[in-house]
Amino acid sequence: MLFFLPIDFVDQMLLKFFSADTVNHVVWPFIQVVLVISLVTGWVAAANYLERKVSAFMQARLGPMRVGPWGILQPIADGIKLLTKEDFIPDKADRWIFFIAPYIAVAAAFIVFVVVPFGPDWAVIADLNIGLLFVLAVSSVGVLALILAGWSSNSKYSLLGALRSSAQMISYEVAMGLSLIGALMFARTLSLSSIVNAQSGDSIWFLLYQPLGFLIFLVSGIAENNRAPFDLPEAESELVAGFHTEYSGFRWSLFFMAEYAAMVVVSAVAVTVYLGGWYFPFVYRLTEAKGYHNLYVIVSLLVFLVKLSGILYLYFWLRWTLPRFRYDQLMDIGWKWLIPASLINVGTSAISIFVVQALDGWRGMKTIESLSGGLNLTGTGKGVMIVLGLAGLGVTGLLLGRINWRSRDFNLKSQRRNIRLVNIPQGKPAVPAVASEG
Amino acid sequence: MVLSGWEAVFFWVFSIAAIFAGLLTVMARNTIHSALFLISSLVSVAALFILLHAEFIAGVQILVYVGGVMVLFLFVIMLVNVGEEERGQEEIFNRSRQVTTSVIFCGLLVAGLIYALNVGYEGIQKRDAATIAQTGAERRAADQNLAASATGASKITKGTEWVGNGLYRFGSLPFEVASVLLLVAIIGSVMLARTLKQEAAVDDVAPDVLEKEAIKDPELAEVPATE
Repeated sequence: MLFFLPIDFVDQMLLKFFSADTVNHVVWPFIQVVLVISLVTGWVAAANYLERKVSAFMQARLGPMRVGPWGILQPIADGIKLLTKEDFIPDKADRWIFFIAPYIAVAAAFIVFVVVPFGPDWAVIADLNIGLLFVLAVSSVGVLALILAGWSSNSKYSLLGALRSSAQMISYEVAMGLSLIGALMFARTLSLSSIVNAQSGDSIWFLLYQPLGFLIFLVSGIAENNRAPFDLPEAESELVAGFHTEYSGFRWSLFFMAEYAAMVVVSAVAVTVYLGGWYFPFVYRLTEAKGYHNLYVIVSLLVFLVKLSGILYLYFWLRWTLPRFRYDQLMDIGWKWLIPASLINVGTSAISIFVVQALDGWRGMKTIESLSGGLNLTGTGKGVMIVLGLAGLGVTGLLLGRINWRSRDFNLKSQRRNIRLVNIPQGKPAVPAVASEG
Repeated sequence: MVLSGWEAVFFWVFSIAAIFAGLLTVMARNTIHSALFLISSLVSVAALFILLHAEFIAGVQILVYVGGVMVLFLFVIMLVNVGEEERGQEEIFNRSRQVTTSVIFCGLLVAGLIYALNVGYEGIQKRDAATIAQTGAERRAADQNLAASATGASKITKGTEWVGNGLYRFGSLPFEVASVLLLVAIIGSVMLARTLKQEAAVDDVAPDVLEKEAIKDPELAEVPATE
């Protein structure tokens, strides 16, 4: 393929100037990093436009139409507006922390892209063997930025936003981490590329095995990103703008960038773990024939981006469809539904793996192909696993629905009184007062 | 283990960063700044773990300490210390007795640590000389075979397996005991932090105690104990 020669050509050129080690471990990663950063920044600009257009579409409006044809130059106008605004620091702010918080936000959001497998081979910067843990760890640092920004602004709206965000993100992080464990049981690795390989080797999406896990991950991912309907930290109708009330100009745009980049990260992880990543059927035919390798990578990349944009559209969709949750509802969803559901999911996944292994060889059934590289199942095994996954979803829904049924009506105070002070009028001692030493 | 090349550079950068961040943690006047320096110290230590090829521990360190524990720390500091921040403008090193004691203890600790490290290091070198040479050669050979994109082996590393096995097979009882201990500590701190007034507000005081205390503090009697 002549069209895809340039990559090899550049490689040859680089090899003339540097040693092979430098080219492989320094120059190419650097090029990849620059590409990814510029693409993500481009996405932030595009998202600015898309969000307005999608919201306009959902509300039967036109959206931005003035700047350029169909308003496509709107992000540029917005960017210029932001950069020319005054960079304001409140008088009583903690200057250093106020200064550093937006950078922590951006760094935490962008570093994660190192491990995101956009495609096979050269389309991933570094395939760390702790990939998924790395994603969770670095994105948990993002909370710090919000708290510090909220606190250092020395404004009550900011502080309230920061407190809300930290409570929210800590609650939902637990569910997010636990929901991934089910999928990890099938992949048996934390490396994101290997998770994709595990799915492509089985030619299945883990979404089918783990419908409950996917649901929990998606909901807690949206909550982690502080997107509507979970946007309490920046609820504009209550808190002005939440933790970034006092920020303006370039610093504010850094928070904006971090939010949209974090959105891509969560969607990318959802695509990688549950939707098969860059894998699509018959893709391996391209690798077999010589000379099509780059085409294979690029097609896989496109597949990944299509899946990614599907999830990102879901984000916009939810934002403009659902109203914001109340604070107590938010905590209810986190602690009464998502965390128990993710714990149950860990249990049911373990049980279903056990059941499928136990079924192997029972009455001539054959469910397992091989156990060497993860869990490879035959057609029957896949069917059993999918049924068990759906059953787990139903069982969890029923169980939690039963437990949480009217949990709101539960009155702790009256329960205590019933236990302790049966039929005792208030203010009178429960036991007849005996003369004591004091 | 002899450090060489970039490994040495990163080792020195991160260890010096960890030490200075640790120092600044105790020297910063503002508690929030202290917490931030502690966070940077923890991140540097996580980087050192990566240099030791214990990626899993590094990831967990950042996830648990930086993402969880320190966020809660900041949370608490912000809520508790809002008014007291303005104080503490006095000098830190003005109490000569305290400073002398801490310097002496610091010296003793450092000396002990250096001695112990030397002894342990030599012992390990002697015991594992053959294994170290072998794994070094293996690692170099494996690194050379890797593609540009595959800087890590695409499976669970030995270190992770050891941690998992150790934690769940041999250390599960101490692990559970530690978590129960933490739970006790949490409940205890909540109980200690509650005032009688708060307890009365949630109707959590025995009526006779409440009556007695109400004589001393008439405000307690007015606490609405209804829902």
